[in-house]
Amino acid sequence: MQIDEVVWQVINRGHCSFKIKTISQNFCRNEYNVTGLCSKQSCPLANSQYATIKEEKGLCYLYVKTAERAQKPKELWERILLSKNYEQALNQIDEQLKYWSNFMIHKNKQRLTKLRQMLIRIRKMRLKGFKELIPIKKKAERRDKIREQKALVAANLENAIEQELMDRLKNGVYNEIMNYNSKAFEKVVGQNQVEDEEEREQQELEEEEEDYSDEQLIFDPNDLEEDDEDDEIDEDNQEDDRRLFKKQTFNQLRRQDDQIKDLKKKKPRVQLQYEEEEELEDRKKQQIAF
Amino acid sequence: MTSVPLVSVFSADDSTKVTAKHIPLPAVFQTPIRPDIVSFVHTNIAKNRRQAHAVNPQAGMQHSAESWGTGRAVARIPRVSGSGTHRSGQAAFGNQCRKGRMSLPIKVWRRWHRRVNIKQKRHAAASAVAATGIVPLVLARGHRISQVPQIPLVVEDKIESYEKTTDALNFLKRFGAFEDVQKVVSTKVVRAGISKQRGKKYRVRKGPLVVYFNENAKLLKAFRNVPGVEVVNVTRLNLLQLAPGGQLGRFVIWTQSAFAHLDKLFGTYRYASVLKDGYQLLRPLLTNPDLARIINSNQVQEKVQPAKTTTVLHEVQKKNPLRNTKAMDRLNPYARKQRAAAIAAIKANTKGTKKIKKNKALKKASRAAFNKVSAALNDATNAAVQEEQDIKVKYFSVQKGAAQAE
Repeated sequence: MQIDEVVWQVINRGHCSFKIKTISQNFCRNEYNVTGLCSKQSCPLANSQYATIKEEKGLCYLYVKTAERAQKPKELWERILLSKNYEQALNQIDEQLKYWSNFMIHKNKQRLTKLRQMLIRIRKMRLKGFKELIPIKKKAERRDKIREQKALVAANLENAIEQELMDRLKNGVYNEIMNYNSKAFEKVVGQNQVEDEEEREQQELEEEEEDYSDEQLIFDPNDLEEDDEDDEIDEDNQEDDRRLFKKQTFNQLRRQDDQIKDLKKKKPRVQLQYEEEEELEDRKKQQIAF
Repeated sequence: MTSVPLVSVFSADDSTKVTAKHIPLPAVFQTPIRPDIVSFVHTNIAKNRRQAHAVNPQAGMQHSAESWGTGRAVARIPRVSGSGTHRSGQAAFGNQCRKGRMSLPIKVWRRWHRRVNIKQKRHAAASAVAATGIVPLVLARGHRISQVPQIPLVVEDKIESYEKTTDALNFLKRFGAFEDVQKVVSTKVVRAGISKQRGKKYRVRKGPLVVYFNENAKLLKAFRNVPGVEVVNVTRLNLLQLAPGGQLGRFVIWTQSAFAHLDKLFGTYRYASVLKDGYQLLRPLLTNPDLARIINSNQVQEKVQPAKTTTVLHEVQKKNPLRNTKAMDRLNPYARKQRAAAIAAIKANTKGTKKIKKNKALKKASRAAFNKVSAALNDATNAAVQEEQDIKVKYFSVQKGAAQAE
């Protein structure tokens, strides 16, 4: 009791190796400090009568220090195991620190509570498993992303798929004629039929001069084999009809391309209704006759 | 002021064995702890080990530099004479100049050493010794003594005959002092700064201080190579070792004979020191430094007056006595009579003078005239107001009419 005052003066004013100064507060690094703060009441060095709670392997112990043992550092702290039952532990503290200052008793109880809560949390985490936080490494992430992109490009997926499909075709996996891209079709077949191509080119040149009304260009997705309507064409003229037929085949092919595209796009089945349906049917009949 | 005046001496071979129980503590350990004296003495004594050094007196001055004076569009600092090099025309001599001499160059005759009063030095040493016996101070200084059986640690003289370092190490381990040595070893750091090139490469902590008595003791060599440990004879206790850095509370290991010798060295409160001529231990200002306990003791509390709950600093509102008769009367009870006398005097003075009678007729006439004038004025103003109103009415009616017509 006598030295406490002196010790506090020397430690506080002078140097204490356990003191940590921050802008707002002073902390105490001493392992026996109840509160963790540097103050006269909670300094384990400046109080010859002192008590703390410490936790070891899931068990809480009450460490008590008295003036009688002040000169014997080895025997200084008396260690009392506290009950696992919270209430009983609190009663134990009351018992052991009977007639001690309220500050000491209260702080010890607080510390016990805190430690027990910590232990509960530890147990919970062990049992439940907890989300482990992994840091995101920016550089690594960035690097991997770029490399993925490069790998994707290098893989030449489209070409590989094309090759595979061609092989399958050649092998005869596909029995029926399927809808496919006109360009691809031409590629495979076109080399054998150069003449047809030339004819088609001529036709295309001829047909370029004609005007296309809006109705002509309307695409009816349901119309696979039906012909389109050309308002401007003279029904009586046979030559025109021939042209019309050629044009229609051309248009049919073009429509098929569009169809394939649309099928790829998976458009809903659309029903277009035209006002002049009867005319359409007449035209059809005429063509069939021709 | 330790409360335990008895100390046990431990056997050198076995830390649990006590060879001598209950030796009284030398009085030095009860001297007041005076960090102020210690730090003062330490700062001065620390200077005494310095060796004179100086800067070359010619450094920076080996030029025939002269100032060019004014009129040359350059600063007036002396400039190096000559030509043919970059150096010519550059500034020289000044402390601010590159390659110039430093300001106030260090001279060898600087006062390197400080003398301190012998008594102060002795008081400081005594205080430092006392602090070595206080566990919290030793802990606060940073020594690892949690496994030491007793502070102050007194061991039988056997350790003075240790020759081998292994013996010394084992001894330290037995008494829990090895933790402190380990701390020294683990915190050895290469010093920051140029000093490392000047022979002070490492910063090493201080470990235990072993104090012996017999001059023939060989333990110096045994403990010499243990990092952090210092060995010193009782008769030559050094404040710089007892309170390194001016910090009280070094961890000290005493041999039995050294411990016993302290009484002769420093004396007690009963008799002066034998070896330090005429030195008497410092007496404390307070024998019981625990102020809180004194104030709350029964003896003091009995005499103390109960605390004041209400203190009236001043009246609710200050009244000016020169204007407030009651306030004046409060201050000066005779003021009342003075006032009465003054009034009476005034009355007495005015008794002789005649009263001025006012001419009633004149009054009447003047009033009549006034009334006339005021009446006329009234009529005029009324007429003017009426006129204006009429105009207004006409105008607006005209306007209305016009609007309606439209």
